[in-house]
Amino acid sequence: MSTRFPAAVADPPLVGRRRRRPLSLAGSWSAPYLLLVPASAVIAAVLAYPLYYMVRLSLEHYGLFQLVRHKGEWVGTANFAQIFHDPEFWHVVARTLAFTAACVSLTMVFGTLIALLLAELGSKMRLLVTAGLIFVWATPVVVAVDIWRWMVDYEFGVLNWLLTFLHVGNYNHHDWFVNPWSGWSVITALVVWGAIPFVAITLYAGLTQVPRELVEASSMDGAPAWRTFFDVTVPLMKPLFVILISLSIIWDFQAFTQIWIMLDGKPGPDYYVMSVYAYQNAFGQSEYGLGSAISLVTVGILLVVSFVYIREMVKIGELS
Amino acid sequence: MKARITAAVVLAVALAVAASTASGSTRQSTRKAAANEVVVWVMTDAQNGWPGALTAANNAFKAQHPGVDVNLQLQSWDSLLQKFDAALAAGSAPDVIELGNTQTTKYMAAGALSAIKAANYPNSKTWLAGLKSSCSYNGKLYCVPYYAGARAVIYRKDMYAAVGAKKAPTTYSQFLSTGTKLMKKFGKNPNFSAFYEPGQNWYVMMTFVKDWGGDIAVPQNGKWKAVFDSPKAVQALTAYKSMALKLSRATKTNDEAHPYPSIPFAKSRAAAFIGNGWEWPYVFDPKGGAAPKSFAAKMGAYPMPSHIKGRFMPTFLGGSDLAIPISAQHKSLGADWIKAFTGTASQKIIAKAGNIANTTTLANVNKNNPALAPFAKAAKYSWFIPTAPNWVNVEKANVLKAMGTALLTNKGSVKSVAHKYSQQVTKILNAKS
Repeated sequence: MSTRFPAAVADPPLVGRRRRRPLSLAGSWSAPYLLLVPASAVIAAVLAYPLYYMVRLSLEHYGLFQLVRHKGEWVGTANFAQIFHDPEFWHVVARTLAFTAACVSLTMVFGTLIALLLAELGSKMRLLVTAGLIFVWATPVVVAVDIWRWMVDYEFGVLNWLLTFLHVGNYNHHDWFVNPWSGWSVITALVVWGAIPFVAITLYAGLTQVPRELVEASSMDGAPAWRTFFDVTVPLMKPLFVILISLSIIWDFQAFTQIWIMLDGKPGPDYYVMSVYAYQNAFGQSEYGLGSAISLVTVGILLVVSFVYIREMVKIGELS
Repeated sequence: MKARITAAVVLAVALAVAASTASGSTRQSTRKAAANEVVVWVMTDAQNGWPGALTAANNAFKAQHPGVDVNLQLQSWDSLLQKFDAALAAGSAPDVIELGNTQTTKYMAAGALSAIKAANYPNSKTWLAGLKSSCSYNGKLYCVPYYAGARAVIYRKDMYAAVGAKKAPTTYSQFLSTGTKLMKKFGKNPNFSAFYEPGQNWYVMMTFVKDWGGDIAVPQNGKWKAVFDSPKAVQALTAYKSMALKLSRATKTNDEAHPYPSIPFAKSRAAAFIGNGWEWPYVFDPKGGAAPKSFAAKMGAYPMPSHIKGRFMPTFLGGSDLAIPISAQHKSLGADWIKAFTGTASQKIIAKAGNIANTTTLANVNKNNPALAPFAKAAKYSWFIPTAPNWVNVEKANVLKAMGTALLTNKGSVKSVAHKYSQQVTKILNAKS
């Protein structure tokens, strides 16, 4: 991992190095640590302390009574025992994983297709499509969800009107959230819609870096386009794919705002994912200890998932 | 190599975005109250329905405390308690908070509210008994009654007359047959409901349970037991379900605030709905139905008739109280603002907006208003939620709303749905708090 930066430092000519040496030696043992202090302080303030507090809360009974007095009641691992013995919790975990898998794969497929489209387009159309993507990306989540919520509204939604108008069927007063599959489809579409721009633009940037000679050579050898894509482009862009997939997993796994606002802040049990379940227990039941324990389990699962990603990153670093 | 650099840039951008959203999503911190202001949390209902009462109270308060500002922060029922919990945890509770009369018990039991002396507040000798009891815990008083509300059916006289109902129905079977006729006559409009009843309007659902002699939950051997899966309750829920599916095309996955029934009502999409007194004027409000003034001539109200002849269905006695949180910084200023807001002048305005005032001395304010008289009539026969300290958790977790949806969308037989949700309520009511 540490091979890249020292190589750059080693570049200056010997003379220069010799002259600088005493200075860099003087601060040699303390300088790196000093340089790390600001970043560490920020991380400690915004991450470490809340995390410590959450771990502590997860080991306490912390209801409204305790909240008013700012003092929890130590219960050890009782909260975790309660979670792991709750069959609903395992349903929620499975639902969260399925939802994440659906969102991430759809995001990656459509993102890649749009990136490929961008690479093929002329400059004017490309500008148009890119602008459209940027607009989607720039829309604040809350605003976007509200717009979608109105589009699928039971009473006044434009989607029901449109489907009826196009004679797809009688969608008048069609409630998209009665059937959880249809409700989840709407939410998935919303999440994927919001995630595509980042993926598409990034992959397009990656595509422009793929050496043209390789692609040309491959097609000269008579490989069809899909073969060129999978055998030449994808391996070259692997680091990018790994990062995008990992980030998408992390984002979609914790999706909360979309579900919460879409269902007016009162999602039924069919719409519980881990983030919503934690919130319902913490704020809905004033069981802040239990809510923290659920959040901690969520973090744990995410860590397992991100482990793959971190390992890949380390591998990529070693390769250079 | 280049892909790797792009990857590094992407990661950096992603982290920056994550950091910015993380900071963006942190709870809006309630500003610590400056010494020269009193922080008041009341529901948007006041601003929508009786803004005059707020102005009157603020003016009276400012006359008493020149130089002290009233920092009015309007709240919504959906997020009130979550925000209050967060404010309690952060030590930045408001000086005055409005709580629903179903929400107070848990907060009194947890010691989140300051004890007060009734004698210091206006009209305390004639406070509504129902509201006063929602402010009492272990012999002490923790809040001041604000207002109460009773629900009645608001209906379109002209539509009822068009199907031969010259008078409001007085029995449940008349109510049903009128509704059926209305659906036949106006139901060609696919948006029309004879009786607009959103699936999560659990107050109406439980009104049926009470009318059929059932109950929500009862104390049993020192614990609470939800009993709305009893045979009587199942009978009531069956009647409710069949009525709602026959007469209503309202949403089944949302409640009576999304949208307010006054909106479809004003647009002639509903011939009737059950609403609080203040929902009558809301039909004309730009944010409500925005109906023209002339629309009033077509409107009427009647108490919901019971399935038992000669009786009304009991109405849920909803209401609000005003409390001073234990960690409020300016308790005496808060108390003075409450005195101003619950005084006779403000209460008269609140009552005229369609509510029941907090004092019996104002019981006759709407006597000569034919629109609001039926609500007062309905209020004479009422029911209230179980007084378990954990009751509010049932509301916060939206258990009965989810049950309404499950019932009307056929997620199981009436009996199995009732059984499933009463078990859930029993569990919540008996949880250690």
